[in-house]
Amino acid sequence: MKTRWLSAWVESLAVGALTLGVSFLCSGQNPDSPVIQSIEAVGEKAKVGFSPAPGAADYRLLSGPDVLGPFAPTDATRAGLSLTGGDLTYAQGFFRVDSVPMPSNDAAVVNLLHRIAYGPTPDELDRVRAIGPDAFIAEQLAPENIAETLDVLDSAPKWKKVTVTGAATTSGGQTRIYIFMDGPGDAYVDNVRFVVGATDNGSQTNLLTNGDFETGLAGSWTVAANLEASAVTADFAQSGGSCLHVVASAAGESQSTAIAQTISPTIARGTPVTLSFWYRTSNEDSELVVRMGGSGVTTSVPLSGQNNSPAPIFSSLQAGTGTLTDLRAWHILHAVQAKRQLVEVLRQFLENHFVTQISKTRDYFDNRGYDSTQSDPISTRAELVENLRWQEALLRPTTSFLDLLRISAESPAMIIYLDTVGSLGNGTRIANENYARELCELFCFGVDNGYDQQDIVQISRAWTGWTIELVSTNDEFNPFAVRSTNYIDATLTNTTELNASPNLQGLWAFNYKGARHNVAAKYIFHQTKADGTVDTAQPKLIPARFGSRWAGKPYGLVLAAGQSGTNGIREGYAIITHMANQPFTMEFISVKLCRLLVHDGFALGYDFADDLHTPEEDLVYQCMLAWDSGSPKGQIRDVLRVILNSDLFRSQAGTLQKVKTPFEFAVSTVRSLRSQNEDGSYTSDSDGYALAGIINRAGRLRLFDRAEPDGYPEDAPAWISAGTLTERIRFVQSALMPVSMTGKSDAGTATVIDPVGLLRKKVPADKLSDAEAVAGYFSSLLYPAEGSANLDGFRTLAAQFLNTADDGVSASPFSGLAVGTSAYDLRVRGMVAFLMSTQRFHEQ
Amino acid sequence: MNILSRRSFLSHSAKLGLGTALASLTDVPFVMKRALAEGSIGLPGSNGRVKKLLFIFLRGANDGLNTLIPFGDSAYGPPNRVDLEIKKDPVQLYTALGRAVFPEAGSVAGTYAHPYGLSLGNGFAALHPSLKFLSPVYNSGDLAAIHRVGYPRQSRSHFDSQNYWETGAPNDNNTKDGILYRAMVESGLAYTAPLTGVSIGSSLPLILRGSKAAMTNVSDPTRFNLLAIPNTTQGNAKADAFLAAANQAEFANKREREFLRLQYGNLASSLEIFASMDFSEAGNTYRDDIATDGDTDYANANGGGYYLFPTTNEKNGGWRRSSTATRADKYVVPTSSYDFFTRLKAAAMVLNKTDALVAGVSIDGWDTHSEQADQPSADGLRGSHTGSHANLLRRVGWAVYALNKYFTRYADKCRWDDVAVVTLSEFGRTSVENSDNGTDHAEASVMFVAGGGIKGFEAGPLGEVIRSGVFNCGGSGDQSVPWQTGPNGTFFKATGRYLQRNTDYRSVLGKLIRNHLGATQEQLDRIIPGYAVAAESLKNKGVQTRDNTTVVGEPDFV
Repeated sequence: MKTRWLSAWVESLAVGALTLGVSFLCSGQNPDSPVIQSIEAVGEKAKVGFSPAPGAADYRLLSGPDVLGPFAPTDATRAGLSLTGGDLTYAQGFFRVDSVPMPSNDAAVVNLLHRIAYGPTPDELDRVRAIGPDAFIAEQLAPENIAETLDVLDSAPKWKKVTVTGAATTSGGQTRIYIFMDGPGDAYVDNVRFVVGATDNGSQTNLLTNGDFETGLAGSWTVAANLEASAVTADFAQSGGSCLHVVASAAGESQSTAIAQTISPTIARGTPVTLSFWYRTSNEDSELVVRMGGSGVTTSVPLSGQNNSPAPIFSSLQAGTGTLTDLRAWHILHAVQAKRQLVEVLRQFLENHFVTQISKTRDYFDNRGYDSTQSDPISTRAELVENLRWQEALLRPTTSFLDLLRISAESPAMIIYLDTVGSLGNGTRIANENYARELCELFCFGVDNGYDQQDIVQISRAWTGWTIELVSTNDEFNPFAVRSTNYIDATLTNTTELNASPNLQGLWAFNYKGARHNVAAKYIFHQTKADGTVDTAQPKLIPARFGSRWAGKPYGLVLAAGQSGTNGIREGYAIITHMANQPFTMEFISVKLCRLLVHDGFALGYDFADDLHTPEEDLVYQCMLAWDSGSPKGQIRDVLRVILNSDLFRSQAGTLQKVKTPFEFAVSTVRSLRSQNEDGSYTSDSDGYALAGIINRAGRLRLFDRAEPDGYPEDAPAWISAGTLTERIRFVQSALMPVSMTGKSDAGTATVIDPVGLLRKKVPADKLSDAEAVAGYFSSLLYPAEGSANLDGFRTLAAQFLNTADDGVSASPFSGLAVGTSAYDLRVRGMVAFLMSTQRFHEQ
Repeated sequence: MNILSRRSFLSHSAKLGLGTALASLTDVPFVMKRALAEGSIGLPGSNGRVKKLLFIFLRGANDGLNTLIPFGDSAYGPPNRVDLEIKKDPVQLYTALGRAVFPEAGSVAGTYAHPYGLSLGNGFAALHPSLKFLSPVYNSGDLAAIHRVGYPRQSRSHFDSQNYWETGAPNDNNTKDGILYRAMVESGLAYTAPLTGVSIGSSLPLILRGSKAAMTNVSDPTRFNLLAIPNTTQGNAKADAFLAAANQAEFANKREREFLRLQYGNLASSLEIFASMDFSEAGNTYRDDIATDGDTDYANANGGGYYLFPTTNEKNGGWRRSSTATRADKYVVPTSSYDFFTRLKAAAMVLNKTDALVAGVSIDGWDTHSEQADQPSADGLRGSHTGSHANLLRRVGWAVYALNKYFTRYADKCRWDDVAVVTLSEFGRTSVENSDNGTDHAEASVMFVAGGGIKGFEAGPLGEVIRSGVFNCGGSGDQSVPWQTGPNGTFFKATGRYLQRNTDYRSVLGKLIRNHLGATQEQLDRIIPGYAVAAESLKNKGVQTRDNTTVVGEPDFV
């Protein structure tokens, strides 16, 4: 495979007067092989500089007696992108550099985690490397078999553990531990441990007396007045026979308002300490605080135990009270947390392909008597319903494109967005063309692909009558239901107020109104005559470029006149059924999926009939064949299987070819350092709400609220410029900041990343102060597809960052920072943020 | 925080990065490099100043027929336009020749109290009343209103048509770079100057995109700096230094890597240049020099005219009467347009305070398929002259007026004579309104060009009109391919449904790039390839053979 190479021959071997000539020789053209850039003599050895090759785990220097070989490996040593070795005193004067590629499965694993998931997590990298790419593809293509409990409210109480480390501080010159609540309420706490050391492996001495609450509080803990009802109880216990029942009448803060214990002797300031405890989850809407006196070690936990879970958000969305802000948080949390990652990627793809704009929906309801506190949840529900229907469809093995298209066509969000909601075709009225145009251009065929203005006019007439109505709850999926007459306040005497939408119970749903329908015959995908009218006898023919499988076939659709009453609804369905499996649709959707999953360089309009085929064109054609061969046609999984098993996708050349959208960037930032802790918490987490801000700021990706009907773009130039890079880099730095630092508001205080916590789990304890080891861990974690040999530059800089003081100039050895101190913590945070601020982190 | 010092670290990286890309150019001295280029794009004229361009993209397709209204054509109005018809003032003679009507509201009436089309004094055309602030610019001779602008075989897809406007290559999907990007590249400027084309918006528009050099986009001028851990001056310096070093690291080739490298280089240089500029709200002190709109009441209470860039209620026209009293009908722009005017202000400042040549902003929301105008209210305050389209036009009218004043009163590197402000929009809308009180996608629409050097309205010593400043919409500026009135005329000439073009947008942009910015014709032939094709008739009157439509070539506006 390494066929492109460059050799140098030695003209003179006289040491001290050595000159080197260079000759180029290329056989075959593999642009992905290293290319020798320079050769110089180092003593009797050659120092060969070269350009990097993708995915190189290592590089080897080979030498040989002749420009055509044979070449034998040398014992060269490598420093970054140069190799020093060989023997210039010997007649092996020709050199070649080979790359040793990373295992191809490893490259495929990273690519899969980048493309059918929202980026690797440390845990997923380990898991998927172990099971291999094929098992991961099989798993993600059958998401119905993956247990997903994200949206399930976990209301059964259970014990959860919290661990927090830091440096000792004192209060009143003494070391104290406080337990209290943030307001009135109660909680159960057990096994509080406070030990010296940056970790607690269970073997250190617990400095607290009666931290397991096996005896009464008297003699070990003092109890302030606001907590006087607190006591040791045998009602529950995490271990042993009893625990502490904290009962608070008011919020606590320090010794005089807490259950407190003074540690003797006092711990010296700055000593690393670890505090841990267990608490029992409950439905209490309050927080439990356990902290050390001073400011070194503190933690507060919501008793719900549902911190950062989408489940409570989902319940409010389902109940119809959730707002757009909630929906965005729910959607983002799914992307961060879901095990069914491909479902999340595809749901976002569908939301974006069948784009709708919630602010337009909101305007619609604002104009129908609702105030903004009502119109927001109503509009949000419309977005939720289409998303849940897509999600449900994606869990069915044979779901086809038609199924997905139909969900969109029936969605009130779409009906409002593209104006069929008010379109009239009866009499001489001119139907609104908006939906008809985008159905052709953006949802099915692709721009300028098999349709023209005549077809848009014809289709727009068929789509008259597709509107929405406020119907009884059980009529949500009955398009012929009449308007609800269940009054919220039936006593209103003003009939306008009585019948106004805000006074009616029910749901806004897809509704067909036959009276608005244009009942003339429609000749869709027919030729246009010279006078501009439709030629009813001549259907359009599939163009030659589609090749013999499809070329020349007529694809006209005639809808007979007189479809009055409820019959007219059939026309819309007839059109989407007809369009969903035309080769234009197969082509356009396949191209879009390839752009999503492979790279942006796929075009619409390949000539499949000629002899010139690029790998991209071939892949699109294979997708179309898979689409056309299934029963039913157009099964999404069939097309995905073709793409994910293609060489374009699986090879090293397939990796890192795409730039992340702002959504992918924000979610992958959180995921890249997200590992689950023993107690169920994560080393990197966010509540979803905090991430919506950066997703908007870095290029105005407003989820569920795209103004233009073409959806947010996939390609890099739309997302990357000085302004958006500023927002991205600010976000990464802010996300890695500790919660109290100025600038944390960019990523939000709910975005909490603990790189040291991750480091402790993944790197042996004796390496925690080793700058090279720490830099090496994070650079290979963040850039797993780059090839370890290509990361030398980043690794060296990262280690240098760790060994440099905050002024950027003075030496400050990393090994001199005590693990567990905030200085150590900040240094690591800064280094990780640096690595994630580079050009490479925008790639996937 | 010492922003300057930490940014200087970044700029170090940018220069090194740029050096790699321009290995063949970097050893040529700056002056020599400019001498190598033809033309005078970016070069100071005899007055020592440089010609500049500010574009405003009206995305979504502006309804040109309700913007520059052909009152002289009986086809305008019922039955083609009913709910959307802008009414004629019963006492105004639209056939009279003279100046544009400017219904000054004074201290009594609301800013947009006038519900009728505003005569432009060419006997045919009128402005939508929401564009009233274009009238003073027009009357001072600095505005060209060019109707019937489009291109051959007009696509009615937003996506395609915006692309074509921005690439300058209609119906050619292989051209991937922008028309103004090419103008910067052809002059050689893009390779040497750290800042050439700047957009203020969510992302860099295609019109400024290209693969050989990075133009600049600033998403939010008030947040244009970086953060670091720890977030101190020193911490920032350290983070920037390491980022600069990381930018030099060599990696294997991948699809987007050269692009990312150029963008990081541009990030570094633009951070440095913008560090000294105050884009903050506190810096928004720019005011009109007269009692704007005749509102002496406001001027007296507030010590001067309206703020030029309305970014808060307080700065939005005459809303703030005194310390407490307010009047919502004195707003000059809708309260939802403060984001736009924050961006417009930054764009104007960029041209005025830096060496950037081109700056641009966009206004979204022109895709008025439904509820384009309000339903009439009994009191007449709402109707066809108000609603979503009117609110968008108010932004445009005030923006041009404000830029005129800003580059006149506050000029530094750029005076009103040096700048051309141009509006773009991908196509027009159907001549007949639809059943939704809206209009669908169509063909030709309107462009406005404003600036001290623009050949607009000119009156003689006796008030006679020497030149009208209205192009292709009646009057003396409409002689080449005149507007044919009536049901079979220009109104429906394109496939029986749409307003027919008689001007190609490339002729307008091309004329600006050559006559205003200073390209040679040879450069222009490369910037807009259609200029080199006779059948495109971009320069002189002729037939565009792709759809056999006669066009005027370049309108004589600059």
